Amino acid sequence: MVDTQTITDHERWAGVYKLLDRTSRIHPEFEPQEEIKEFIKTCKILVIGAGGLGCEILKNLALSGFGDIHVIDMDTIDVSNLNRQFLFRRADVGKPKAVTAAAFVNKRVQGVTVTPHYCKIQDKDEDFYQEFALIICGLDSIEARRWINATLVGMRDEDNPDTLKPLIDGGTEGFKGQARVILPGITSCYECSMDMLSKPTGFPLCTIANTPRLPEHCIEWASVLEWSNKHGDRKMDTDDPKDIQWLYETALARAKQYNIQGVTYSLTQGVVKNIIPAIAATNAIVAASCCNEALKIATTCAKNLDNYMMYSGNDSVYTYTFEHQRKDDCPVCSNSSTKLDFRGDKTLEEFMDYLKEKPDIQLKRPGFAVGGKPLYLQAPKQLEEALRPNLVKPLKELFSSGDEVTITDSTLPFSLQAVVTLT
Amino acid sequence: MDAKTQKYDRQLRLWGSSGQEALESAHILLINASAVGCEILKNLILPGIGQFTIVDPGTVSQNDIGSNFFLDFDSLGKQRAERAYELLGELNEDVKGNWAAKDIHSILKEDPGYLAQFSTVIATDITRETAEKLAALCWVGGQDANNRNPAGKKNITFVWVKTVGLFGAARIAVPEHTIVETHPDNVADLRIDTPFPELSAFAQSFDFDTEDSLEFGHIPYVAILLNYMDKWKQTHNGKIPSTYAEKNELKANIRAGMRSVDDENFDEAISSVLRSCQPTTIPSEIKALVNDPKCEHLNAESENFWILTRALRDYVNDHTKSDGLLPLSGTIPDMKAQTDSYVTLQSIYKTKAKQDVQEVSKVVESLLSSLGLAAGSISQQEIETFCKFSAFLKVIRYRSLEEEYHQPNTKQIDPDSVFPYYVLLRASDSFYDDHGRYPGEGENWEDDVDQLHANVGTLLQSWGIANDAVSKDLTHEICRYGNGAIHNIASLIGGVVSQEIIKLSTRQYIPMNNTFLFDGARSVSAVFAV
Repeated sequence: MVDTQTITDHERWAGVYKLLDRTSRIHPEFEPQEEIKEFIKTCKILVIGAGGLGCEILKNLALSGFGDIHVIDMDTIDVSNLNRQFLFRRADVGKPKAVTAAAFVNKRVQGVTVTPHYCKIQDKDEDFYQEFALIICGLDSIEARRWINATLVGMRDEDNPDTLKPLIDGGTEGFKGQARVILPGITSCYECSMDMLSKPTGFPLCTIANTPRLPEHCIEWASVLEWSNKHGDRKMDTDDPKDIQWLYETALARAKQYNIQGVTYSLTQGVVKNIIPAIAATNAIVAASCCNEALKIATTCAKNLDNYMMYSGNDSVYTYTFEHQRKDDCPVCSNSSTKLDFRGDKTLEEFMDYLKEKPDIQLKRPGFAVGGKPLYLQAPKQLEEALRPNLVKPLKELFSSGDEVTITDSTLPFSLQAVVTLT
Repeated sequence: MDAKTQKYDRQLRLWGSSGQEALESAHILLINASAVGCEILKNLILPGIGQFTIVDPGTVSQNDIGSNFFLDFDSLGKQRAERAYELLGELNEDVKGNWAAKDIHSILKEDPGYLAQFSTVIATDITRETAEKLAALCWVGGQDANNRNPAGKKNITFVWVKTVGLFGAARIAVPEHTIVETHPDNVADLRIDTPFPELSAFAQSFDFDTEDSLEFGHIPYVAILLNYMDKWKQTHNGKIPSTYAEKNELKANIRAGMRSVDDENFDEAISSVLRSCQPTTIPSEIKALVNDPKCEHLNAESENFWILTRALRDYVNDHTKSDGLLPLSGTIPDMKAQTDSYVTLQSIYKTKAKQDVQEVSKVVESLLSSLGLAAGSISQQEIETFCKFSAFLKVIRYRSLEEEYHQPNTKQIDPDSVFPYYVLLRASDSFYDDHGRYPGEGENWEDDVDQLHANVGTLLQSWGIANDAVSKDLTHEICRYGNGAIHNIASLIGGVVSQEIIKLSTRQYIPMNNTFLFDGARSVSAVFAV
């Protein structure tokens, strides 16, 4: 056993300190300074998500020499996390991820302080986010990413450099993933690249109800249509094996009736929970790339990623690094309104369905207003009921071509201004 | 769902239970518990490899705990192999671990056949000389039929890994790797250009003049395509559209048949025209495969893959059975259709696929018997999978380290690519041979730049490449890194390597060939077959 006092930063962080102590000819702008080492020890970094990517990110930041790390996550540990979320053990199932992950890293890496926040990101205000030098996201939710992105873009004051919060975002699916650096208001933001996401998987209701062909159609029928018929107002709990078992059996019975093969318990769970395959290896790659960028941004020891790296490991190992361009009419980081074309004889409801599916918009529960006058709102209940008749009216009866429509969604911290041309 | 399926749910959705079984039979050796080595093992222990063994003669240093998550403060001064084994072993109670606080050379001196028990050997923090020696031992284990261990293991995959500052590299070497389940994006094989009789009959069963618009809007697009393709052939000497203009004409014909803009099935047909006008043929890569000498010279020791490929060849060559085409995959995409017609169409393709599998099975059985192997020693399931993916089979033959060190595949070097780092890595080995240390390790690190750059020049000259292919600024950068271990880079390379080992162990997906290079300063990477 060696005494604490004999540990020296110089020996412990030898690899990183070589980078920080030495000049570079490929990056001549870098000037080694002792203050940089002090900065990484003391600056506050926020990690959003303590799941597959989050566990990796916490480990990487602690071993990069960052001393003051915060982590925020609203989830608890599930047994299916254990194949990759290496800060958790079987005995931890059911405990909050943020708290467990923080405790593990604090114990393993001497001198680091990881502070957990067991809550939703939406529970924190701008003052909270203002405290951090940079923010790294390891999320599996598009909604949460849109929220933090819009919040950070909104916080930026061009006259005050301290309000610029670099956002590093990682994501994985199976053997694929991506890492990107967002400088709010300077580079393209998360919202600018919404159209890179694949269309949300959903099946038309008429297929589910009348012409099922795939096992997935039978599962959707069980969860979307049959559940409320049989269970009334009781909400489905996709984490409850009993509910999944009911859905599985119901879907299986329907599949048998239609001669459709392939309904399994695992597929049922996958469809209703929208499960994305995940492994430790890919998380490690993407998280390491994010933290490499964090270290470069915090120390300026090398140029940071500008601004997107895609990774694919299905066929060989392939990365593609490129500068994603800002979107001229980005509803979050630009001042101009989005332009949309839609047929004037289609109803507001059809317009709404179109926007829910449109990859660069993807709304969940939208509301509409023109010139400050609401056309449709999801809440409060009374207003919703009063405005509901508008849903079946054609757009040309509700507003004129070229009008600016304000589209809101309770899941987003911004509204979309759209100039709608009726065709 | 059992406990194991629950724990591994997110990965079973990628490689299935057969992949998991293969992973669980893997025994991985890690030589030296470096940061990158432990990161690799972490990502392999979590998804449940069978066993791991760590061999490392060293003790835990301060720099180890600053770069390796699986060596902690309490480990200082203790055996690296033992501590890494303990902290990694915690990750999965279903994985067996072993360790030896010894040098690999002394182990091999005592037991020359030591490596035979492993499926994969990962070497980190070793010199070029040791790498070449270990790689050669693994290579022989992989090729020489007399040298197999009793378990019948044929290959030992050798993986060499190194990180230097913001740069990292990994190299795979195994004589041959064959893959059936390559996981292509789309295996649908619809045969619109050459429909088999049952498929034609299906297409003709639809009444395109029906009054019922619901029925009309649900004619499966495959039937629409077949119908219009058939009409086209009748007026074009039995030929399918081949030019761009002809394909557009076919599209226009289909569009003209639409009754309303809402006939999505017609839209689906139109958007499949280009793909359907590609004549169904055997891909050139598969043609090369069936002509491979390994197919020709089968023996009782041949891998199932080669017996199956030979069966595939014989099947394809028997035109009365196969029409000279590969077995049908039997998979169709979803399409707008009534349930009944979709299920019927699906079963038409499935039935034909099954017939094809039966024909291939017959060839397999006769091959097995001629080789003196037991009937059924290649399972029906294996033959089915092979037939389903027969258009996407893959064989990778790696160059050995010996071949690479003698003459790497380097005809030209793009100075802006990641490849100059490879040259610097090799030059650093030469530097080590001369000085017994790696460039930039000491305080006077800039003094090493000229020497290392001279090593670069010598190498480039011996390969017949212009001297300016590697800039001196880059040589300076490698000296700046000073052979330092940076955790982020270790973790990234560890992630890539573990992904590759999973692909190699499960025999699913396609591993890289043969060297991965990552430049963390520019966040770019590339794979080179050096």
